[in-house]
Amino acid sequence: MSHRAMVETVFDSIVATHHGEIFRYLRRLAWRASEADDLSQETFLRAYRAWGRLTPDANVRAWLFTIASNVYKNHVRSERRRQAAHATVRATRHELDLDGPEEEAMAGEMRSLTQAAIRRLPLKQRLAFTLRKLHELDYEAIGQSLECSPESARAHVFQALRKIRTTLNGHALPLTESTR
Amino acid sequence: MTSKPKVCVAIEPDLIAAATGEATPPAAERVDAHVAACFPCRDDFARYRAIDHAVGALRATLPPAGDAEAARQRLIARLADLTSRIVSYRVVPTPLGPILMARSEQGIALLEYLGRDGVAASRLFQMAGVDAQEAAAGLEPFEHELLDYLGGRRTRLDWPLDLRTARSDFQRAVMAATVAVPYGAVSSYTGIAAHLGKPAAVRAVAQALRHNPLPIVVPCHRIVGSGGDLVGYAGPRVDLKEHLLTMEGVPTVSARTPRIARRLLYHYETNPGREYCLPTCGDIAQRPIDLLFATREHAEAQGLVPCTTCHPELHPLSA
Repeated sequence: MSHRAMVETVFDSIVATHHGEIFRYLRRLAWRASEADDLSQETFLRAYRAWGRLTPDANVRAWLFTIASNVYKNHVRSERRRQAAHATVRATRHELDLDGPEEEAMAGEMRSLTQAAIRRLPLKQRLAFTLRKLHELDYEAIGQSLECSPESARAHVFQALRKIRTTLNGHALPLTESTR
Repeated sequence: MTSKPKVCVAIEPDLIAAATGEATPPAAERVDAHVAACFPCRDDFARYRAIDHAVGALRATLPPAGDAEAARQRLIARLADLTSRIVSYRVVPTPLGPILMARSEQGIALLEYLGRDGVAASRLFQMAGVDAQEAAAGLEPFEHELLDYLGGRRTRLDWPLDLRTARSDFQRAVMAATVAVPYGAVSSYTGIAAHLGKPAAVRAVAQALRHNPLPIVVPCHRIVGSGGDLVGYAGPRVDLKEHLLTMEGVPTVSARTPRIARRLLYHYETNPGREYCLPTCGDIAQRPIDLLFATREHAEAQGLVPCTTCHPELHPLSA
């Protein structure tokens, strides 16, 4: 088997193992499914080009989350520039809904509110929070993905929780369980 | 909003951690003790618990499986496309000068005699959709075979070829017909055009071979003018053409333009008996070249038999 064929076989298995999760990550960050599609493709195409430089002992999952986070950050930056250039072009509320109307109806109020509160977080907190709470990465890996220390990754997550808590302050507390 | 008591401010990080499942056991115990006695913090704790529950529900909410699958399929298609466009190349120093050799996943895609401007001027970088990378990996076996061929130690190059570097289907057809001209044999542009069933396309055949992306392995040096002139090779490098033909035992004569020595070659023109002739058989040496062979062995290796009129087997040409 040639060197290249070997590289491809291994990369195929990386796609098979991690694509679903990386797509979900980007789907949670992005407004639209089509955006997540483009972003996940870009993530893996970048990964493919950089693959040869990855050390054998690297944490592939954290590495992919790093690339995906950077791809998303760049995307947000260029979106901001684009929106600044076309200030009149605004996505309609319909376009911005994460889920279809049926799913939304089924979803709990608290879940939708929390989702909305997560969306309003500053970018770094949102990424750290999503990586920690929705993808359950450890702080070491999150720090690596966001190019900060594990401690500041932790601080971002806690700041995010405080902000979500404040955003939801005005809303009635669902009685999920009694306080101790 | 009234400011919180100091003790509540101090315990807040632990409280958040405990409510969201990240606290160490001692911290969780401290939080338990505190919220048991402090109503506002108990409320806070409950709110963070509720958020944690909602987040848990979000974690369990997956996008429609079809979206992820469609995205994955598109990714796989793009990766395949990317892979198919990656071409690794290497410059091989040869007795004929530096030759750039490039291969894709399909096979050898380009052989190019480099001129004074070297790699930078290579056609490789003018090809649309090609992602060129310098890499020796995967090219060494071909390099060895090429050097063996140019050193006269090998007469065949049975390589997988990537013909996407050809410009058109017509060029690919011309290249395929050229590959069929064996070592030690010579054909002409006229002969190739006739072979393709397009006898009028002589100039188009010459053009197609002028831009042959795979010289040597697609042996365009074995294709000459219909009278035997060594016209055009790698631009003005007719000397390379002469060198390659001489190596194969095809004699040439240096006239105003170098030409192959037809009088010293066995002639073949398509005939039902598959007979090959001496150049003195009728007017065969005056007609446009179809196929010529340096030796009887070369001709007979192609399944041809001696002509029953001129008997090349009884009067072999002296070398």
